[in-house]
Amino acid sequence: MRFADYITIALRNILRQKLRSGLTIFAVVIGATSITIMLAAVFSLKGFMTSQFEANGTFQQVAVSQQSDITWDDHNRGGNCQDCTKLSDDLATKIGTTPHVVGVARQTYIGQFQALQYGNQKLRIEQMVAYDANDIIKTQILAGRDISVSDTTGVLTISSDYADKLGFKGKYDQLIGKDVSLQTQGWYTGVGSDPLQAFKDQQAWFSSHPGADGRDYQPAPTVLTGKIVGITDANSEHTRVRVPLTWAHGMMENQTAQITQADQDAAQAKCRTSRVPNCSTQPVPSSVSVSDELAKQGYSSFIVKVDESSNAAAVAKNIRNTYKVGAADAESEIKSQLAIFNILGLVLGGIGGIALVVAAVGVVNTMIMSILERTREIGVMRAVGARRRTVSLLFTFEAALLGFFGGVLGLGVGYGAVLIANPIINKQLSTNNITSSNIITLPIWLILGVVGLTTVIGILAGLYPARRAAKQDPVEALHYE
Amino acid sequence: MAAVIEIKNVTRTYKLGDEVLNALDGVTCVVQSGEFVAITGPSGSGKSTLANIIGGLDRPTDGSVVVDGQDLSHVRDRQLSDYRNKHIGFVFQSFNLQGNQTAMENVMLPLVFARMKPRDRKARAKECLEAVGLGDRLKHKPSQLSGGQRQRVAIARALAVKPSIILADEPTGNLDSARGEEIMKLLKALNKQGITLIVITHDVSIARQADRTIQIKDGKIGRG
Repeated sequence: MRFADYITIALRNILRQKLRSGLTIFAVVIGATSITIMLAAVFSLKGFMTSQFEANGTFQQVAVSQQSDITWDDHNRGGNCQDCTKLSDDLATKIGTTPHVVGVARQTYIGQFQALQYGNQKLRIEQMVAYDANDIIKTQILAGRDISVSDTTGVLTISSDYADKLGFKGKYDQLIGKDVSLQTQGWYTGVGSDPLQAFKDQQAWFSSHPGADGRDYQPAPTVLTGKIVGITDANSEHTRVRVPLTWAHGMMENQTAQITQADQDAAQAKCRTSRVPNCSTQPVPSSVSVSDELAKQGYSSFIVKVDESSNAAAVAKNIRNTYKVGAADAESEIKSQLAIFNILGLVLGGIGGIALVVAAVGVVNTMIMSILERTREIGVMRAVGARRRTVSLLFTFEAALLGFFGGVLGLGVGYGAVLIANPIINKQLSTNNITSSNIITLPIWLILGVVGLTTVIGILAGLYPARRAAKQDPVEALHYE
Repeated sequence: MAAVIEIKNVTRTYKLGDEVLNALDGVTCVVQSGEFVAITGPSGSGKSTLANIIGGLDRPTDGSVVVDGQDLSHVRDRQLSDYRNKHIGFVFQSFNLQGNQTAMENVMLPLVFARMKPRDRKARAKECLEAVGLGDRLKHKPSQLSGGQRQRVAIARALAVKPSIILADEPTGNLDSARGEEIMKLLKALNKQGITLIVITHDVSIARQADRTIQIKDGKIGRG
C-alpha cells in the first residue's frame, strides 16, 4: 500500500468518528499544551536570566573574601575574621597581577549609617556600599551618572526603590543634584564626627546623671550630607546607597579624643589654682587621633575581573591557593541556581507528561473501540489482499495521526498562551525597569519535540490495538456481527 | 485444459476446547481453469471451509493446495495476502461493502492494496462498475443502493484486480429470486470470459447451472 493511501485511509477513519476522535485528540492537546507552555516558560526564563548574567559580566568575575569557604553568593555579606588573610590594598595589587586577571574592584560595606533623609522624609538604610569605580562591578544607571574615579566625598547614588519611596517614581531626573542627609548611629567615629565635643557631651551627661549606668548614655548621631549624582536600578541592587571608596575610608575611620601629657598637666594646674575642694583632676582632651580602620581591617571583598569567563574557575582556584583567601567564580554558583530551572522544567514537564500518558490511554481505548467496530471491515480488507502488516500499519498511522494532531493543536494553544503572556511579562518587567522583548519563545526544538513526542506517543499507544487488528483471523472477522 | 486448483488430502481441524472438529477430512479435488463449479452441502458440512482454503483465507491443517502452480499450504501471510489480492475475487452473501464509502471507493479497495496509482484505480473501478451495469451509480453509497445493486458492487470489487478465480459464497442468499437470477447471470457471463467460478450454495437450482458440482458432507466429498 502506498504511503499516501495510509494517510488518506487513516484520516478518513479518524473523521468518521468525529466526536470520539475529537475527544481523544483533546486529551492529547491538554498534555501537549501544558508541556509546551511549561517548557517554553522555564527554558526562556532560564535563557533570559543567563543572558542577564552574561550582560553584566558576572560570569567573568571571581569574588574574593577573607573566609576561605566563600561561595559566590556570600560575597555580598563580606565579613571579617581573626585569622584570615586581610583583604588589603596590597593584596588587591598582587591579585591584579595574577594571570588572566584584568582588574580588581575593592568593595566594602559601611554599617554605621542608619537613615537617609530627604526633606523631611526619612528612610532606613539597608545597605551602604563603596567599591572601585573601575566598571568591574556593573551598575544599571536609570538617571544621572554612576560614581566615577574622580569622586572623592560628598556624592552618592541611591537605588531606584529609595527614589520611588521618596515620591520620584518615573521622574528620577528630578532627584539628581539634590542633597540628602546620611544619619549615623550614636557611636560613629568617622569623618564628620567631633570626638572632642563627644567627650565633653559625655562628661556633661555623667555629671548631670550622678551614679547612672554608662550604658544608658546615647551620644548624638552625626549627620553627613551627600549629593545624589545617580539613581541605580533596584533590580540589580535594591535598598542600596553607594558612596565613593575615598569617602568610605573616612566614614570608617576611628577618631578618638586623645589625652596628652599637656592635657593632664593642664587639669592638675587648674585644680591647684582653684580653691574648690575635691577638685577633679580629670583631664580634657585637646587633640584627636585618627586611624584608617578600613585599611586596618581590610575590605569586605574583592571582585576580580577575568579576561575570559572560561578562565574564571582556574583564576579562583589560583587565588585561593596562593593567598589563602576565599575565592569563588560565579559560573558554577549561577549554574547551580539555574539548575533550579532545570528541575522546575522537569517537574512541570513531568506533569505535562502525565497528562500525555493519560491521553495515550485514551488513544489506546479509542483504537481498541474502533478496531472492534471495524472487525468486519478488517476482514474485508484482508480478503481483498491486505497483509497483516498493512492492517497493522494502517491502525498505527491512525493512532499516530491522533497524536500528531493533538501535538499540533497543543502547540497552537501553547503559542496562543505565549502571545498573551509575553506582553504581560514585558509590562511587568518594564515597571521594574528591565527592558525586554518577548522573553518566552518557542524554540524550534520544542516545536519539533512536542509534535514528535505526541506522535510517538500515538504510535506507541497504537501498537497493541494495531497488533490486535492484524492478528485477527480473516474468516472470523468476515462473519463478525 | 490445465488444472488451476489441485487439492490433495486436505484436512482442516478446529479445536473447540477438548473436542477436535474435522471441518475437512481428507478432501481431494481438482478444478479446471475456466470451469464453473458449485460446491454444495448442508450447513456445517465444510463447504465454506473448503472455499476459504481455496481463497487463501484459511490454511489446511494437513494436505496440499496448489493454485496456478503455487502451493498455498506453507506460504507466509504476505504471499497468501498477495495471492488473494491478485488471483481471487470474493463475493459474499452479505456483500461486505464498506458502508461509509461510495461504490467507486469500495471497488478501488483491492487496487489500493495492489499499489495501483490513484488515477489507474479510478479508471479500473469505473470500468468494473460499468461492466456490472452500475455506470450511473459510481458515487452512491451502499445504503443508497438496492440489494441486487450492492451485490453488483461486490462483484465489481471482485473483478477489479482481474482475478483468475471468483469465489462466491451464497451470492444470492440475501436476494429475492429475480435479483438472484440477475446476479447468477452476471457471474456466468464472467465465467464465459474465462474466469474460473466457484459458487458455494445449498440452492439446488443454482448448483444445477454449474458445469460440475462438488458435494460435501461431514468434511468429505460425496458424489456430485
